[in-house]
Amino acid sequence: MSYLAESLKEKGNIAFRNGEFIEAEDYYTQAVQKYSRNPLIFTNRANVRLKLQRWDEAVNDSLKSIEITGPNGQNHKAFYFLAQAQLAMHHPHEALSSALTAYDQVLHPSPTAKISPRDMETFSNFVLRCKKAKFEIRDRDRLRRQGDLRAELEETLDINKQRDLDDVSRRLEARELGPVEASERNQEILSNFEKKIAELRTLFAVADPTNHKPREIPDHLIDMITFEPMHDPVITKNGHSYERATLYEHLKRSPTDPLTRDPLTINDLRNNFGLKAACDAFWESGASEWIADW
Amino acid sequence: MAGMSSKRLQKELTKIQGTLPPGISLVSAPDLREWQMDIAILDNPIYPPSDHYRLRFQFSQSYPIEAPEVVFMAINSNPERKIPLHPHIYSNGIICLDLLDSQGWSPVHNVESICISIQSMLAGNTKAEREFDSIRLLWLDLGGLADC
Repeated sequence: MSYLAESLKEKGNIAFRNGEFIEAEDYYTQAVQKYSRNPLIFTNRANVRLKLQRWDEAVNDSLKSIEITGPNGQNHKAFYFLAQAQLAMHHPHEALSSALTAYDQVLHPSPTAKISPRDMETFSNFVLRCKKAKFEIRDRDRLRRQGDLRAELEETLDINKQRDLDDVSRRLEARELGPVEASERNQEILSNFEKKIAELRTLFAVADPTNHKPREIPDHLIDMITFEPMHDPVITKNGHSYERATLYEHLKRSPTDPLTRDPLTINDLRNNFGLKAACDAFWESGASEWIADW
Repeated sequence: MAGMSSKRLQKELTKIQGTLPPGISLVSAPDLREWQMDIAILDNPIYPPSDHYRLRFQFSQSYPIEAPEVVFMAINSNPERKIPLHPHIYSNGIICLDLLDSQGWSPVHNVESICISIQSMLAGNTKAEREFDSIRLLWLDLGGLADC
């Protein structure tokens, strides 16, 4: 039985690589019916269901895969797919916790784990996205409770955006749209949304500069390579700190300190716990202003 | 990954549209893959301050882990831009500067710091000539690369 499942899974993988997502999902489903104890089949089906924007089912498949590998088993991909589905469903809190688990599992992998070279950077970026989403939602909530008009308008835009995205997902499921077209629509919706938010904020900033000024993220919390706020900073011998994933990426190409060009390897790096605490404090701080420079 | 280079470039662009050091200006950034900058040299008689030189930046997906490709462009008119005379700048615009090759590059550099480095390389120049061109032609004759 497991042999049959394996060959169906392979067919699914081939279909997936060719962008035939509906066919791929079908192969994985057949594979699961033959043999349901292989976590990889569920992980792969979760991935294809993300492409088909069927978030609920992607969550179920990821959880099923994690259930098979056990609570402490290495399954970073499933946690990453879970995080993506949760974020798409507007649950940044849960998404962050899943993304952190995925990140932690590639940072401290089990000896037999298969890790792709890009995983760490990808997961690190995703942790950041979840943190931003969480920060923005909480911030908007707080402002709305204070009866802030801008927060209310932003929320309306957000609801409209979500409705449009859901509509795309629904039409994708009804096969009125292909996966490529659907993902193009989604990008259009998201970029329109961002433009409108930016415009709204500019208007408020002009009309009422004291209460609606943008806030800059302090420089010491910004990674000098990506210009993004850090969440897992490491410190070099000369005392400068960088986001772990991006510095690892640089060291792969050139084992030198980015500032002094002295030899530097991953083993020379240390966690910067103090700075990490400062970064966490920033993420927890909430802001009465929006962040100017995400 | 692709996300990193476009985010970082978007942020650099926002900063550059704010303030830039004297003599450096953004000409165009039609997309996040290619930008053009103008630089002027303020205190070197070889390069009159009214002359501007056009730099073209091309960024790969791996920027800023990988260096951008930076060259001077010659434009015939409207406005005219020449390739500055400098021993380390070829007549086709290619610049020999350690921070632009893969050994000398570091991801903490950015468009602004590259412009400043090139500006100061020109400002400190005392020879209005291209002594590298003859060497380069020799290299090409020998089938070598036109690298410094």
